[in-house]
Amino acid sequence: MKKVNLSFLYLACLLLAGVLVSAVPAEDGYQVGDKARDFKLKNIDGKMLSMSDFKDVKGIIVTFTCNSCPYAVGYEDRLIELHNKYAPQGYPVVAINPNDKTKSPADSFDKMQERAKDKKFPFPYLYDETQEITKTYGATRTPQLYVVQKQKDGSFKVAYIGAIDDNSRDASKVEKKYAEAALDELVKGKPVTQNSTKAIGCTIKWREA
Amino acid sequence: MIKKIKLLAATAILLFTCAALPATAQEVDVIKFKELEKLRQLPHDTLYVVNFWATWCKPCIQEMPYFEAVTKQYKDQPVRVILVSMDAVEDLEKRVKPFVQKRSLKSRLLLLDETDANTWIDKLEPRWSGAIPATLLFNNHRKQYFFAEKELKEEELQALINKYKPVKK
Repeated sequence: MKKVNLSFLYLACLLLAGVLVSAVPAEDGYQVGDKARDFKLKNIDGKMLSMSDFKDVKGIIVTFTCNSCPYAVGYEDRLIELHNKYAPQGYPVVAINPNDKTKSPADSFDKMQERAKDKKFPFPYLYDETQEITKTYGATRTPQLYVVQKQKDGSFKVAYIGAIDDNSRDASKVEKKYAEAALDELVKGKPVTQNSTKAIGCTIKWREA
Repeated sequence: MIKKIKLLAATAILLFTCAALPATAQEVDVIKFKELEKLRQLPHDTLYVVNFWATWCKPCIQEMPYFEAVTKQYKDQPVRVILVSMDAVEDLEKRVKPFVQKRSLKSRLLLLDETDANTWIDKLEPRWSGAIPATLLFNNHRKQYFFAEKELKEEELQALINKYKPVKK
């Protein structure tokens, strides 16, 4: 048998490990049941906003969305409807743009302000410029919802992660309203039957390290 | 007689036009998840590289040339790139086919006609959150499997192909 150069083998293993590690998506984000940390992010009106600023809510529909993803844009009207239906029941929408403006110029703060004005967003639209909150939540795509429920001590717990419904293309053909089903149960004080759903979406545009 | 000449002329023109056209791109086959599952189970000693993309997905289009390059580079080897479009089936004629023509894509092309990803993603790969681009590599004969939910760089894709491409001993 040939003698193998060990240092070369080590190098090969290191390279391989690098490829493998970089390919595994972050799995250390929030799961249903986890406590969600508060944030302080800039809203389109220029003011900083935190979850703790919402005094009289039962929870918040934290939605990672953006201007540049056709799927996210396709859900804007449904997100507005969701807010208009559930804000009066204690669950307002808070939209967060997670995309890096260098990688995705259409998602800059100015463009967020424009889009919110055009669509008359009835909810705050925050910019996670450092992407710290997005990473902590473990969001991977836009649009992606995290419904958090307020606890007695004022903290928020993740109750639902996933999609708004089962048809991104055509709102009139929706059969399963995943988010509404979860919210209806939460409003009634029931446990959420389907607390996690998946959908195709745009990958988050991470800042180059 | 005149009619015949006209017909001949027309045929000739048509033939010339056809010859002048750039090499034709691949067809796009519309499939359901069941067919994707079958594909995932193919037993051959072949490395399948399945990339999920859409015409509206910028990072997908960014990495697409790397997959096309693999198709060309390995056309005589058991390495098969399959590009699975997540575009809505309603956009097949209007968006997907023109895109495929314009870039004269050579890889195998499928369009997955399923609206509710929640019903199938976990059956294919539980680690996939649904963000695209995403890529699967597998060779069932050698029980090899790899998954990435991100945009691949050219050298990353090349390294993966080099690692998994079947080599006859």
